[in-house]
Amino acid sequence: MSETIRVMVVDDHPMWRDAVERDLEDAGLDIVGVAANGRQALARFPAARPQVVVLDLQIPEPDGVAVTAEMVRQDPSVRVLILSASGEQADVLAAVTAGATGYLVKSASREELLTAVRRVAAGDPVFTPGLAGLVLGEFQRRSDEPTRPDDSGLTERETEVLKMVAKGMSYRQIADRLVLSHRTVQNHVQNTLRKLQMHNRVELTRYAIERGLDAE
Amino acid sequence: MFRALAVLRVVVLVNAVALNIYRADEFTRPTAAVACVALMILWTAFAVWAYADKRRRTWPLLVADLGVAMALVLVTPWVKGPDFSTSLPGFWVIGALFAWAIHYRLLGGLVAGLLLAAADLLRQEIDASDYGNIFLLVIGGTIVGFMCDSLQQMATDRDAAERAAAMAAERARLARVVHDGVLQVLALVQRRGRELGGEAAELGRLAGEQEHELRRLIHAQDAVSAVDGDETADLVVELAALELGNITVSTPGTSVELPAATAHELVAVTRACLDNVARHVGEDAPAWVLLQAFPDRVELSVRDDGPGIPAGRLVEAAAQGRLGVSESIRGRITDLGGTAELTTGSFGTEWEFVVPRTPTAH
Repeated sequence: MSETIRVMVVDDHPMWRDAVERDLEDAGLDIVGVAANGRQALARFPAARPQVVVLDLQIPEPDGVAVTAEMVRQDPSVRVLILSASGEQADVLAAVTAGATGYLVKSASREELLTAVRRVAAGDPVFTPGLAGLVLGEFQRRSDEPTRPDDSGLTERETEVLKMVAKGMSYRQIADRLVLSHRTVQNHVQNTLRKLQMHNRVELTRYAIERGLDAE
Repeated sequence: MFRALAVLRVVVLVNAVALNIYRADEFTRPTAAVACVALMILWTAFAVWAYADKRRRTWPLLVADLGVAMALVLVTPWVKGPDFSTSLPGFWVIGALFAWAIHYRLLGGLVAGLLLAAADLLRQEIDASDYGNIFLLVIGGTIVGFMCDSLQQMATDRDAAERAAAMAAERARLARVVHDGVLQVLALVQRRGRELGGEAAELGRLAGEQEHELRRLIHAQDAVSAVDGDETADLVVELAALELGNITVSTPGTSVELPAATAHELVAVTRACLDNVARHVGEDAPAWVLLQAFPDRVELSVRDDGPGIPAGRLVEAAAQGRLGVSESIRGRITDLGGTAELTTGSFGTEWEFVVPRTPTAH
């Protein structure tokens, strides 16, 4: 934890890129790369080898979802933190399903951003209540489809925890309420994310191939 | 259209020439007949060439075309003598007839049909089959003219629709880009303003409000296409309207269609809960709304982080005969056929509503 976190910032708006870059640098993080669009991001990613990618979803082709998928494919240990202004629900869900570890709205404060980057770097998913609501909805939608084998649905406890996250409760509050350790709550949220991403790995590969990312 | 007509002209020409050769014994003036057939061949060749270019399709050409056809009909008795079974050009005249119908539409078809019919009537006694042919001539010209009109109209309409669709798609794409840019700036102002404090913080707060408002509008607009004629409303969109700086609304990513009345009542109840939070916990107290949709029901919760409702206050209120807000909330949910549950404690206050869904929604 003590070593500096290597971060890459991808955003097509220079003012935002600079603001995020400055905030992270001031906090002592190591900016190893910046990019203004998907193509640049993917081209610079292998050499920059960031631990965390702070990624805007609405960037010129390929979009944030495709970039997330490809980065995670190349380096499964990379953590992608989605930073989105418009918060298009479907896109956020797609990005998280594609392998992003966290999501933050752009209006979040500097402290929230720093906390999020540090947590994501530690492998801890950053869920906003809005994202938790989306993920809950997605699992519900999947279980409503009779054709899908229900092999990776959420356990009752996971659903309960996720529901509490969606209701805006902090991990600490959830731990208190359910009489669990903070770590256990974190594990439940992590499992939720893992199941969401695992379930879609096949569809994801198809998505990447369709977008022509397999050629690179 | 004129290309198809060119093919038709050649076909009817071959037919007319063949028939005239077959009935060559009918001719009383063979030289004139050969000249007439030669004229038909030449005129057909000329017409195919002349009609090929749009700029040459002017009234002199059409008048000449029809004139040749009528003249050939009129000379038939002179070339063939009084006893003949078919007119000299035969079906060849439909070339000119359809040219009029295509170019001048319904009226052109009718006029050309009537003129050819008149020419036909002038040259002979009519019997039933002649009458049939003449009738077909007039009707055929008119119908082809009418159909050309409709086809043209359809093509115009289709072009207009395609253009409109392309424009709408482009507008939506541009709007997305613009909206994203505006949202970025608003978010940045909000963030920096908060950091700078003072008047800038107020600016930041205003930017934040506008950001939420714009995001809600975009969300509502995205959902417009999904709405059908039925009296249903998307609870996701309706609830998103409640989102503010301190109020977080979490919903599924897909729309949740409910009968409009149910959806509006649920939104009203949610609003009442949020008003309660503002009154008892604080004007800017954070609150969270969560919507979950299941095939048979929706679950809605409104939570705050406040100190909770003091024990006994609700009982006390009821004892004093005051129904209070909580009872009215409960009543409204019961009216929807659902259940309402209130949890309160040091961790805050939470309302949980479960309202059944009519199975038709899925």
